[in-house]
Amino acid sequence: MKKFLIKVNGNQYEVEVEEVKGSSAVAYTTTAAPAQPAAAPAPAPAPAPAQAPAPAAKTAPSGAAGSVKVTAPMPGTILNIVASVGDKVKRGQVLLILEAMKMENEIVAPADGTVVSINVTSGTSVNAGDLLVSIE
Amino acid sequence: MGTVEKINELRIRRQALEQGGGAERIEKQHESGKLTARERLEKLLDENSFVEVDAFVETRAIDFDMQKKKIPGDGVVTGYGTIEGRPVFVASQDFTVIGGSLGEAHARKITKVMDMAMKVGAPFISINDSGGARIEEGIDALSGYGEIFFRNTLASGVIPQISVIMGPCAGGAVYSPAITDFVFMVDKTSYMFITGPQVIKSVTGEDVTFETLGGSEVHNSKSGVAHFRYANEEECIKEIRRLLSFLPDNNLTDPEILPVSDDPNRLDDSLSEIVPDSSNKPYDMKEIVTKVLDNGDFMEVHKHFARNIIVGFGRLNGKTVGIVANQPNVLAGALDVDSSDKAARFIRFCDAFNIPLVTFTDTAGYLPGTGQEYSGIIRHGAKLLYAFSEATVPKINVIVRKAYGGAYIAMNSKHLGADVVFAWPSAEIAVMGPEGAANIIFRKEIAAAEDPVACRDQKIEEYRNKFSNPYIAAARGYVDDVIDPATTRPRLINALEMLAGKRENRPAKKHGNIPL
Repeated sequence: MKKFLIKVNGNQYEVEVEEVKGSSAVAYTTTAAPAQPAAAPAPAPAPAPAQAPAPAAKTAPSGAAGSVKVTAPMPGTILNIVASVGDKVKRGQVLLILEAMKMENEIVAPADGTVVSINVTSGTSVNAGDLLVSIE
Repeated sequence: MGTVEKINELRIRRQALEQGGGAERIEKQHESGKLTARERLEKLLDENSFVEVDAFVETRAIDFDMQKKKIPGDGVVTGYGTIEGRPVFVASQDFTVIGGSLGEAHARKITKVMDMAMKVGAPFISINDSGGARIEEGIDALSGYGEIFFRNTLASGVIPQISVIMGPCAGGAVYSPAITDFVFMVDKTSYMFITGPQVIKSVTGEDVTFETLGGSEVHNSKSGVAHFRYANEEECIKEIRRLLSFLPDNNLTDPEILPVSDDPNRLDDSLSEIVPDSSNKPYDMKEIVTKVLDNGDFMEVHKHFARNIIVGFGRLNGKTVGIVANQPNVLAGALDVDSSDKAARFIRFCDAFNIPLVTFTDTAGYLPGTGQEYSGIIRHGAKLLYAFSEATVPKINVIVRKAYGGAYIAMNSKHLGADVVFAWPSAEIAVMGPEGAANIIFRKEIAAAEDPVACRDQKIEEYRNKFSNPYIAAARGYVDDVIDPATTRPRLINALEMLAGKRENRPAKKHGNIPL
């Protein structure tokens, strides 16, 4: 699956394009900047859509922004994402696990709120300061 | 005037001085959630123990019609008293008297009690609530600050110095607290900064509030300037008294030994359940620390700053110890710029004041990344090694789990002069983690294998079984004993008793040159 960032009239869209072998159908997932995960890829009758919504929900656009930004405290690899977009979380609740320094570090919500975006997928390598999750 | 009238006059004069800036200003002070300078001292010191010094001191400034102004006590209340029966010297700035601004006489009152504190060897507590230098007094005010900084520096390592910020503390004034050992702040009413929001706006264009620039949260969590923060002044004052209970009066005495209700031989089986089976899982090191100390009483210093390392005071069999412990729950317990700074300063405080050091080690190493390297992790990390090496107080290390590479050396290792090193059976003491080590040592074998992944996993396991344990280090004598976690408390108390008479001499020198 390839990701593109497209700007239309100043609005940034993140577009994921996946080539589906053996058919001409292409799965689209487009989400506007203040993305809501609800929008499942409508114009895609191909085999892809069945799984598509899940990862789509977890990879909201990097442009999406809750006011509370959770950033990587140190360089490492995302091991597991616990929270989902739309989840109501409490301060201290685990959002995801960042494997770094030989440790499965729990990244927790710094404040109560709703998860607006999750900007990484499991397996993503991140650097200190990279945006992981935003909460409103 | 007869004798009776003269005594009456004294009473009237004293009453006037004790009114500070007058009823109206006192009310304003109270409205903003602040106590007055005298109320603070009353709460801080044992009842009726405060003895004021220099109440009648006045400014001699005459420029800008200063001689016509009434400045009771020149804006600061100074003197001495006791806390739990032990003497302390105090200076409390009076914001109700021309904003607690610092002039020549004001500063001289402070330096006088500082000199007395040094002479008798008692802690000095300075309560800051001041608008800054009294501009009318020009360079005499600057001279005042300088004289205070100079004494703060001379007193450093001789008597414990505590700064309490209970109002504004801006510009040059911040450097007195910065030199002292501990800085207390109160939420919402205390601020510290070099340049205020207005100046910042005009110079860099940044919009910033007092709170986000230099409030208690900023200095306790981001900058590390302050060590303690509390919701209100009463709570803050109570904790200052508590901190002093752990400290000696000066560098030539030991901290007071308190009667203990906690059994020194207490075994704690629950200590074995804290460290997870998987060495990649985090846990809360504070649980271990509190379970080992007398009655679980641990006064954490720098609680909100560089939380990947824990420092603070507790007691073992009634005697104060300084705790330094990696916190696997935060940043994997890795050592970084801030945690090295934090721990090094704490270690040096303990060493200066005869407080034995007990460390709990579980760290995979120094934090990698350009951010850390550019911030000078080499320079800052070196402080930790320097501070441990330099310290001559009893030094005991408990290796709980990971002790890899440079971090193993830095964390109070035998090689830096630790007197006793214990390891739990869960300890992994090695040159590096099993993954990294296997990748390097068996690189060729792994590359040549039919199934490199399986081969790699096997080699990692081999390395883990062979080297990631406490017994290799124990075989060399780098670890004195491998102990059952349940026995940690009695073993530590026993070791401290054995070390009570420790004397260690270092080469004579003016002072070392710690990498700052």
